[in-house]
Amino acid sequence: MLFAHRFLVAFVAVLLGITSLAAEPLPSEPDLLAVLRSDAPEADKAITCKRLAIKGSPAAVAELAKLLDNERLASWARIALEAIPGPEADAALRNAAGSLSGLRLVGVINSIGVRRDAAALPMLQAKLADSDAEVAAAARHAIGVIGTTEAAVILTKAMATPGGSQDATAQAGVVCAERLLAAGKQAEAVALYDAIRKASVSEQRVAEATRGAILARALDGIPLLIETLRSPSLRLSNMALYAARELQDGPQAGAVDLALATEMAKPPGDAAAADRVVKIIDVLADRNADGGASDAVLQAVVSSATGRAKPIRVAAIAAVGRIGNASALSSLLPSGEDADEDIALVTRKAISSLAGSEVDREIVARLPKADATILPTLVRAIGDRRIAAVAELRPLVHHSSVAVRTATVAALGSVVDLPNLGILIDQVVNPSVAGDVGKKAIMEASIRMPDREACAEKLAVAIDTAPSEAKVTLLDVVGEVGGTRALAAVAAAAKSNDPALQDGSTRLLGKWMTPDAAPVLLELSKSLTDGKFQTRAIRGYIRIARQMALPDAERAELCRNAIKAAKDPADQKTVLEILPRYPSQAALAVAKEAATMPGLEAEANAAAAAIEQKLAKPAG
Amino acid sequence: MAAFRTQLGRRQLLKSGLAAAAAPMIIPSSALGLDGAVPPSERIVVGGIGIGRRGEYDLGCFLTQPDVVFAAICDVKKGRRDAVKKMADTKYGNLDCAQYSDFRELLDRKDIDAVLIATGPNWHGTASMYSAKAGKDIYCEKPCTKNISESLILRDTMRRCGTVFQAGTQRRNLPHFAFACELARTGRLGKMKKVFAHPNGMQALMSGWLPAEPLPNAAVDDWDRYLGPAAWRPFHAKTLQDGFNFEKGGGLVGGGVLEWGSHCVDLCQWAVNDCAPPVEYNPPKDGQIVTTYADGVELIFREKDWIPLGSCPVRFEGETGWVEAGDSGKLVLSSPSLLAGRTVENIAGYPATFHVRDFLDCVKTRGRPKGNADAACNAHIACHATNIAIALDRTVKFDNDTNTFVGDVEANRLRSEALREPWRL
Repeated sequence: MLFAHRFLVAFVAVLLGITSLAAEPLPSEPDLLAVLRSDAPEADKAITCKRLAIKGSPAAVAELAKLLDNERLASWARIALEAIPGPEADAALRNAAGSLSGLRLVGVINSIGVRRDAAALPMLQAKLADSDAEVAAAARHAIGVIGTTEAAVILTKAMATPGGSQDATAQAGVVCAERLLAAGKQAEAVALYDAIRKASVSEQRVAEATRGAILARALDGIPLLIETLRSPSLRLSNMALYAARELQDGPQAGAVDLALATEMAKPPGDAAAADRVVKIIDVLADRNADGGASDAVLQAVVSSATGRAKPIRVAAIAAVGRIGNASALSSLLPSGEDADEDIALVTRKAISSLAGSEVDREIVARLPKADATILPTLVRAIGDRRIAAVAELRPLVHHSSVAVRTATVAALGSVVDLPNLGILIDQVVNPSVAGDVGKKAIMEASIRMPDREACAEKLAVAIDTAPSEAKVTLLDVVGEVGGTRALAAVAAAAKSNDPALQDGSTRLLGKWMTPDAAPVLLELSKSLTDGKFQTRAIRGYIRIARQMALPDAERAELCRNAIKAAKDPADQKTVLEILPRYPSQAALAVAKEAATMPGLEAEANAAAAAIEQKLAKPAG
Repeated sequence: MAAFRTQLGRRQLLKSGLAAAAAPMIIPSSALGLDGAVPPSERIVVGGIGIGRRGEYDLGCFLTQPDVVFAAICDVKKGRRDAVKKMADTKYGNLDCAQYSDFRELLDRKDIDAVLIATGPNWHGTASMYSAKAGKDIYCEKPCTKNISESLILRDTMRRCGTVFQAGTQRRNLPHFAFACELARTGRLGKMKKVFAHPNGMQALMSGWLPAEPLPNAAVDDWDRYLGPAAWRPFHAKTLQDGFNFEKGGGLVGGGVLEWGSHCVDLCQWAVNDCAPPVEYNPPKDGQIVTTYADGVELIFREKDWIPLGSCPVRFEGETGWVEAGDSGKLVLSSPSLLAGRTVENIAGYPATFHVRDFLDCVKTRGRPKGNADAACNAHIACHATNIAIALDRTVKFDNDTNTFVGDVEANRLRSEALREPWRL
């Protein structure tokens, strides 16, 4: 029930829920007021109020105010009254507050709050004691939003008055203090925040006031920040973490970092404190993720990465990854192969995340001097960080340590370039590590090569000379690479006399992602002698007709060829099921041709009928 | 032009540098000696407010998380309450999911840590404000606000209450969109020139007033609570059923670019470092809307001329390169060198699972989720200001320091709209 408009004149449109009307200028204010004064339907008066929110002047206020006691239209009238500038609307709302009650009064008070009408404070103060709890609540809120010195006095007094509404008053007080701070009245804001902190109110209100008190005090708020951080109340402690993230800028930023780092370094007395240390580390990482961590902060976090409880270590190592630099490498590297898998994983991730090209240089520079306990971590880092260090990695392919060799082959998958792809081809032909590490590496490398045709050429040449088992692996790789040269290589393998190659290549062709494999598959379906591969070829051909985006005529031709080439009647019937999915005159012709073939009459006629039915249906 | 596929699995993605770069630090429970089990103290108790079709999808994402306990549903429609209760009770094998028709009762529950707000747009902002004041963390569907003023109040309320707030802008937690934004943000496209958003509509829209129909039993469909902060209308079944569109954007200038904009503009905002919203907004011309940031970068809404990459496309153009991405999960780059050897996982269909996880992690660490209130505020202001330019059919200039339009009384009047009593922000 949305309707589009610039500004519509025809009010009946509202009732009809029209969705598109010509742009019209907004009616004049007198015309709009005439609607309000008339006996027009409520719907028209409602939309008129909305228009007056834009066009209404003080002259419209009186007419709008008449609707404030109207259960149905009061909310519409307030849309305009909240928007019309000037003291007239303020006065009208205050006057209405003197005579209204219940929800209508609540609405008017809410609007007074939105307009921040300080002249209404005496009236609002009186309403705090209203017997209608909703009215009193609205008054509290409005006073807070008005947020002047006088408002603060009223709320402070109300908070000290027993009556059970202290929490809601405190909520308004926090808003009020915020307004005072924004107006440059820092001392008044702090005083109000502190009064709320000490009041008998919920933890949530205390937390809000504490945050405000910390932020309002700026540099002087740091002790309160740390004190709150240590609070046994999770809500308060959490609020301190929140505030710590907010104290990002200004002269206090460095001091906040140091205070947090000092707190983090203290031995936690219990599990809750240990959890808090983890969270503080997270805050420090967030605060310094742009690389601006001071040496003191970085050193404190690095220190926590060793010799502390495991959760703290894990958090600290991760944080070093976010805020550290090349200087952190020495402390991180020994944990890269830690027996504890969690520690090892987070360390490797941290090393891969360290910012700066200096880190890359340092990692490569450490390779020659590193022993077998550090080398795997360094090599992994080269792969993870995509450091162009193929020459440095190359000799490590034959390192005496299996862990180093394995890490090296995997890393080469991430960094090797096309001229050096041969290193990984060798790993397929004469692997230096067991398992499928070499295959995964060459797969990763080949897929990301910018020039896939050149990559496919290199792989194709290798396939020609590789031993049988390696041929199949390389065939899989070239299949993933795709493209014209890859297709030719796979097709050639399919035509070989090697059953393993025929198996692998027909499998690849059966899931080829581009329709240029169709002629190859059709030819293979006729030329291959092994029935299994022949079937695979024709079904791959049918898959292209069924799944790929093709012009109607081309798809129909593929279907025609498939019906002729398929030897299994089930495959022929599958083709006939494809035709109605893409109805066209060309498809219809194929179906009708098929209807003349023995054994296909029923299915072909059904397909033709379905196509004709779809073609007869108007578009849309 | 080249489209790139990637190799990482989804689980791997969560461990990859891309996802972890700005992710909070969650200690695996294995590090705590729990063998993957979630201790009760680590569980997050969640309540749902307004769970319709989209909400049910979101809820499904929450329910897959091992540390979530979904404890209560509030909806003004009994049918929805019953359906969601059944969903939760089936998941847990009990009958514990409580039902409410007034969300304030749900918010009164001390055991509930966080809420999923997936009402219609009419309620998103107001319900978020009440939830924050009740001390709950919030995952709120988009669009989160109805106007500029509400956007600012949302941001300030979340800050004041220390709330972890996640707007339902789940594309911020999808790798290809994140990578595209990273390219723009980190200067790898050169100095940014233009960011493009798909608005999926450029007309100012307003919810009307349909003829009265007999009021249903409030215990079944509570019309008054459905209307909530929206100005009063008589009951009409069509309005009740169309919560997705009802009062979207509110006021005279709702709808417009807000539906997709709260996703696409949000991504554009991320691409320009979540800076303040544009300062100049033009009405539609030749099928596009041009807005301009203070530094001269243009945010352009356009309906056509997108590379077919699925819904919600964005494009970022710098002096030396460009990138385009959409909901297919694919990226198109001006040069493969922009990948710098990296792989970016292709996750199609804009799942919210990662976004929900980001939210839950931040609930624990008190970190800032990707769709935090500050980011949401800026993106929504950009959409609302654009809609005001559409409605007024003229160029409007916005001052981000004062949050007012410069020398335009009418535009300034459209920044906010009164809420129906008793609701307030």
